[in-house]
Amino acid sequence: MAEFAESKNDFPIEASIPDCTVSLESILCTEQLRRRPWRPPDYKKENHALVALLSARLDPQSNILQTLAETILDVTQCDSSGLSLLTKDDGGKRFYWPAIAGTWKPHIGGGTPRDFGPCGDVLDRNCTLLFKHFERRYPYLLPVMPPAEECLLVPFYVGGKAVGTIWAIMHGDRRKFDAEDERVMSTLGQFASLAYQSLESIEDLKLQIAAREKAEAAVRQLASGLEAKIRRLVDANIIGICVWNLEGEIIEANEAFLQMVGYSREDLLTGRVRWRDLTPAEWRDRDERAVAELKATGTAQPFQKEYFRKDRSRVPVLLGAAMFEGSGNEGVAFVLDLSEQKRAEEALRASEERWSKLAENSSAGIALIAPDGRFIAANLALQKMLGYTEDELQGRTASDITHAEDRAATEAHIAEANEGQRRVRRVEKRYLRKDGGVMWADVSTVFVPASGSNSAFFSAVIVDRTERKQAEEELHQKEVSLREAQTALAHISRVTTMGELTASIAHEINQPLAAVVNNAGACLRWLAAQNLEEARQSASLVIADGHRAGEIIGRIRALAKKAPPQKDWLDLNETIGEVIAMAGSEVRRNRISLQTQLANDLPLILGDRIQLQQVILNLLINAIEAMSGMREGPQELWVSSQKVTEIPGESTEERYEDRALADAEWTHVLIAVRDSGPGLDPKGLDRLFNAFYTTKPKGLGMGLAISRSIIEAHGGRLWATANASKGAVFQFTLPIRDERMS
Amino acid sequence: MTETDATVFVVDDDAPMRESLRNLIRSVGLRVELFASAQEFLRSKRPDVPSCLVLDVRLPGLSGLDLQRRTTEAGMEIPVIFITGYGDIPMSVRAMKAGAVEFLTKPFRDQDLLDAIQQALERDRKARDQRAAIEELRKRFASLTPREREVMKRVVAGLLNKQIGAELGTSETTVKLHRHQVMEKMGAGSLPELVRMAEKLGIPVPKS
Repeated sequence: MAEFAESKNDFPIEASIPDCTVSLESILCTEQLRRRPWRPPDYKKENHALVALLSARLDPQSNILQTLAETILDVTQCDSSGLSLLTKDDGGKRFYWPAIAGTWKPHIGGGTPRDFGPCGDVLDRNCTLLFKHFERRYPYLLPVMPPAEECLLVPFYVGGKAVGTIWAIMHGDRRKFDAEDERVMSTLGQFASLAYQSLESIEDLKLQIAAREKAEAAVRQLASGLEAKIRRLVDANIIGICVWNLEGEIIEANEAFLQMVGYSREDLLTGRVRWRDLTPAEWRDRDERAVAELKATGTAQPFQKEYFRKDRSRVPVLLGAAMFEGSGNEGVAFVLDLSEQKRAEEALRASEERWSKLAENSSAGIALIAPDGRFIAANLALQKMLGYTEDELQGRTASDITHAEDRAATEAHIAEANEGQRRVRRVEKRYLRKDGGVMWADVSTVFVPASGSNSAFFSAVIVDRTERKQAEEELHQKEVSLREAQTALAHISRVTTMGELTASIAHEINQPLAAVVNNAGACLRWLAAQNLEEARQSASLVIADGHRAGEIIGRIRALAKKAPPQKDWLDLNETIGEVIAMAGSEVRRNRISLQTQLANDLPLILGDRIQLQQVILNLLINAIEAMSGMREGPQELWVSSQKVTEIPGESTEERYEDRALADAEWTHVLIAVRDSGPGLDPKGLDRLFNAFYTTKPKGLGMGLAISRSIIEAHGGRLWATANASKGAVFQFTLPIRDERMS
Repeated sequence: MTETDATVFVVDDDAPMRESLRNLIRSVGLRVELFASAQEFLRSKRPDVPSCLVLDVRLPGLSGLDLQRRTTEAGMEIPVIFITGYGDIPMSVRAMKAGAVEFLTKPFRDQDLLDAIQQALERDRKARDQRAAIEELRKRFASLTPREREVMKRVVAGLLNKQIGAELGTSETTVKLHRHQVMEKMGAGSLPELVRMAEKLGIPVPKS
C-alpha cells in the first residue's frame, strides 16, 4: 500500500491530474485474498508484536508509529510497510507518511494529494483493498521505486472519522498476501487507531503544557510589572493606600493616607490607627456592607464615606477595597480625599444659588430662551415688566411679545444666531406688555450653542428703558422747541423790529395827517361860509401840521436811538452766557468750536437785556451762517469781553485801548465776536450797517442796521473789521457810566 | 334846544390833533370843548346840553375804552365816537358793543366825523327828551297822594272801580273820586295814555 512522491512536499498538483484511463477495478484484486491459500495464524508472533506495541505506547520516548510500521513488516513478512495519515492543518487534502519500514523507508515524510493514490480509494470505500501495480492508475507514484507488485491497504478511524491507512507492499512475487494478512492488518488497524489517539493525547498535552508555561510566564511578567506599578502608586502618595484586617487594624499605610487622617507614622506603628475608630457612627453600617461585599466577592465597590481625623474633624473620602487572595482577613484599601471636590461642589452650589438669587432678584429682566424663540424661564423682574407670568411666557415666543415694528428684526436675530452668526447682540427694541402697552428695552442676548447633553439656548438681559426713552423724546422735543424758539426769536427780532417800526411810523405820521385833513376840511367850510379869517387860520394849521409830519419823519429815522430802552443793570458776561446757551445747538449742529474769553471783573452796564441779547445773538448767527458754507479749515468762533479806555478823536478801530491809563479810567466794555469764516468784502464794508443791505439769500438786511441802532441807543458803537488771520470780527462797546445816555 | 346849544367834547392827547378837531367842528357851527386826557374830562363840569364825545382810543393813563366804560357805569349816557391811529377789529367790536356811535381810523374823512357827530347829537337829543319826559311824569306821580298812587296802580292793572274799592276797603264812589284826581294830576286824557305813563314809570301793567 502506498503512495510516493519524489519530493516530500513539492508536488505539482495541476500537472499530475489523473487521466483515469485505467479504471480502479482493473488494479484491484481484493477478492483473490479469499481464494488464495492462507497460512495459519501465528498467535505467538502476533502477541509478541502487540506487547511490543503496547510498551511503545507507554514509553513516551519511543516512536509508536514507526514501531507499528515495523510490526506490520515483521508480521506480514512484506517488503515495505507504513502509515499514511490525512493532514489536519488543511482539513485532510493530503496524505503524509509519518512512518515507513522496509524497502521504502527512505520515503518517510513524503506524501501525495488525497485523490492521487490508493489511500483515498480505501477511505472512500471504507474497507480493506488489495491493489496490483497501482502506479498504472496513479502515475503520480510512478517515480517511487521499486514499484509495488501488490499492496494491501487497511483504513483506520478515530471516533468514527477516517484518519488514515496502514499498508503492506510486496515488490516482487516472493509471496502473495492472503486472508490471514487481511485479518492481521485489520487487528493492527484497530491498534493504529489507539496509537493515533495516544499520540494525539500526547500532542495535546504537550500543547497544553506549552500554553500553560507561556501563560505562567506572562503572568509572572505581568505580576512583576504590576507590583512595581503598585509600589510606585503607593510611594507616589497620590491616593491614600492602606493595608487593613477585619479586626479593624490598619497594618500599613502610605503617607497620603496618614496625612488625610492626620496621623503620624509613629501612631501607625504603635497600632493607634484603627479604621473602625476612624469611622463616624453613622458610617458604620456602610462599612459593614462593604465588609460583607468583601467577604462575598473579594472586592468592595468604591463608595463615599467620612473618616475622623486625629483632631476629630471629618474628611470626606472615596474608598475602594479588596481582600488579599487567600488571606480571608486582610486586604488593601484605596482612599481618595474628597475635601477639595466637596468644597468645589459646595462652591459650585453656592455660586449657582447666588446666580439664581441674583437672577431672581435682579431689577433687570432675565430670561432663558430656546433656539426657536420660546421662553424657557423668566425672572420676576421680567414678569413684572411685561405683565405675563412665567407660565404665560413659556407658552410664547420672544417674537410674540415683540412690538409689530420690531418683530422682523427679532426673528432675523434669532435665525442668525442659530446659523452661527452674531451670537452676542445688544439692541434697543419694543416689547408689547400683556396690557397692550409698549415697553422700550435694552436687550443683551447671548446665544449659547449646544454642548454635550445641554441643548442650545439664548440668555437675555432686558432693561426697561421706557422712562428713559420718554425722557429722551421729551428732551428731543424740548430741543426741537428750543431750536424753533431760536429760529422764531431771530425771525421775530427782525420782523417785530420792522413791525414796530412801521407801526410807530404809521402812528406818528397819522396824527399830523389826520390834523391836516381836519384843518383843510374846516378851511373849505370857512371859505364856503365866507369866514376868511377862520379859513386863513385853518390854512396855517394845515401848514403847521405838514411841518409836524416832516419833523416826525426825521424823528423816525432816529427812532431806535430815541426809543427809550428798558434799562437794567446787567452783567454782560451773564448776557453772553444766555445767548451762547440759546445758540448752543446751532453751534453744535454746525460742528463749530466755540470759545469764550470773558474778563472776570466787568462792571455792570445799564442796558436793555433783550435788545443786547438780540445784538449778540445776531452777531453769533451771522458768524455761524458765514462759516456754514465752508468745506475746509477749522470752524471756530470766539466771544470775548474786556474793559477798554476810549481815546476820543481816533478812528473807530484805534479808538479803544485795552490798557487803562489809570484804574478809574476804564470807560467802556468791549464785546467781540470773531469767526474763521470767509471774511468780509472790503467793498461792502461801508454798506454793511445800512438798512436792507444783505449778502444772504434770505436775509432782510435789517440785522446789523438794527443792532447798530440798539448799540448806539445804549451810547456805544458797533463796527466790523477783518480778522487778523481769517474771517471777520464784529465788536461793540458800551459805556461803563451812563453819561452818554439821555 | 338849538344847534348852538349842542357841544362836542374832544379827548385827545395830541395838541395839534385836538386843535384841528376843534377847528373842524367849529366850522359846522358846533361848540367844542377840548380835553388832553380822560381824567381831565371826568373832572370837568359840563353844560347840560345835547352833546357827544370824540375820544382817542390811545390815551395816556385811562384809555378811551376805559373812559367809555366809566361814563356808562356812572349813568352819564353820552354817545361816543372813537378815533384811533391804528385800530384793530377786536378793539372796534368792543367799542361798538359798549354803545359807541362810530369807530374811525385816522386819518378819517372830515365829513365822516361830522356825520358821526350829527348822528351822536341826535341820539343824545332823543335820549335827553326821553329822560325829560320821564322826569316830568315822575314829578306828577310824586304829586299823587299815597291813596291815589294805590288806586292808579290798580287802574292801570285793569281792575274795575268796584274791585279796587273792595281791595282798598272803600266805596266805589271814593275810588271814582281818586281816579279822577289821578287822571287830572297825571295829565292823562284817557286810560290808555295813563297806562303808557305807568309803563314809562315802571309800574307793572298787564300785557294784553
